[in-house]
Amino acid sequence: MFIQYKFLLILRGIWFVAQVALFGLVVNKMVQGAADAVGINYFNYYVAGVTIITLYSTAMFIGYDIFEEAEHGVFEYLLTLPVSRRELVLGRSIGGGLRSFVYVGPLLVVVLFILGVSNPLYLLIALASMFLFAFGVSGMSITIAVAMKSGDKYDILIGVLDALIVRLSTTMYPALYMQRAMPAYATIANFNPLTYAADLFRWGTGVEGALQFSPLVGVLGLFIFFFAFTFVGVVFYERRLEGGSWQ
Amino acid sequence: MKAILHVIEYDFRNFFRYRFFIAALIAMNLADLFISAVVFTQMTSLVNYFRFFAPGLTVVGLFASAFMIGREINMEVRREIHHYLLSLPMTRTELAVGRVLAGGLRGMLYMTPLLITNFIVLRFPTLPQLSLILLTLLLLAIGISGVSISIAVSTTSFEKFVTARGVVYYMLFFCSSVFYPLSIIQILATKGLGPLVTFAQINPLTNGSDLIRSFLLDASSGYVFSPLMLLNVAVFSVIFAFLALFAYSKILQRH
Repeated sequence: MFIQYKFLLILRGIWFVAQVALFGLVVNKMVQGAADAVGINYFNYYVAGVTIITLYSTAMFIGYDIFEEAEHGVFEYLLTLPVSRRELVLGRSIGGGLRSFVYVGPLLVVVLFILGVSNPLYLLIALASMFLFAFGVSGMSITIAVAMKSGDKYDILIGVLDALIVRLSTTMYPALYMQRAMPAYATIANFNPLTYAADLFRWGTGVEGALQFSPLVGVLGLFIFFFAFTFVGVVFYERRLEGGSWQ
Repeated sequence: MKAILHVIEYDFRNFFRYRFFIAALIAMNLADLFISAVVFTQMTSLVNYFRFFAPGLTVVGLFASAFMIGREINMEVRREIHHYLLSLPMTRTELAVGRVLAGGLRGMLYMTPLLITNFIVLRFPTLPQLSLILLTLLLLAIGISGVSISIAVSTTSFEKFVTARGVVYYMLFFCSSVFYPLSIIQILATKGLGPLVTFAQINPLTNGSDLIRSFLLDASSGYVFSPLMLLNVAVFSVIFAFLALFAYSKILQRH
């Protein structure tokens, strides 16, 4: 099903290249002093952040599939399959996370080529955490889609959520500067799964030596995120699946 | 003229059907200004990024909303609604002019709250300056609407339209002074990316946002109004408005 979105996937690829090769390079020059002050290379910092944003946005695609299925009546077919609702949503959540990794895979190779790997063990831990993150995002997407039951409302909410969750995280800028700009932004970023995923990926690739949190806190944060949304997703899916009213 | 007004009214009614989508778009734009720009302001000493980015954001909003007309026209072509539109008692030119103008005017309507935010956070322009800003943005919006319609009638599926829109969007935005000053983009020339720098200099989005900056930022910022900025946007607008008129009235008949 994912491959159906080939043009959207190509578009995400172009977006990634434009973000890295144009925006990343130019902004790197603009914020060089600030990056030096906190001991980072902003270009590398940004490339790692953009990878997490791409993983997030592709994992969110699963919600659109659910509306597509509801529109074409595939939902009823899925309900007749000899699997429990719980297995169905768990499978979809994990499938959504896995396929986003399939998409991000080639980009990840390019990113690792750019960033390099300082410690393979750290990188493995970071990649495992990113799996948890992708599964959690898929679960969140399913939960929102099933709670909304309206393609338009979902599209709007996802747009607003995307605007806030990405900007209020450390994917694009270090927490120190968020704190200086507005302490509330930094506080929110401390509880944002994108912050955990981006910081862990930077730690895994050696972009950022000193993390704001211990990697263990990051992994734990992502595990809670994954667990909460996958299982909240199951409950929502079970409760709201039947009865139609899809818009 | 009456027929053109009817077409504009039709497109405005469609525009307001997406009012929640528009509200979400405004929320995203404001998040860019009040979160990202505020943080980047702390990170760069080259410019006051918040003040620098505010005019650029107006152009971002204008672009996104003026481009929406293409999405609708592409949908009409795919669902063959254009047969109905072509059967209406008006000439194809009137229909095409109405659509191009409606796309531009919708962009102006959407952009208004963002421009007012600029006036509040930067400063209020004088009446002649305001007239020049509005004229430039209207021309820019009509040009963008023209680009969008030309792509919409030349692509056979929504995915292809969205992909083409993405390519145009990323090229025009990332190679412009919307997000960063032209002086920083010029550094790319030293990395063998000279053509991108030239593109950024002639990009209408660069000229549109720098024109607003020249009126709303302090003289110390280095932005000075030049009639060439307006000329650049006008040339872009004329070329793409005519291209859209031609494409819409000729290509639609072939479907």
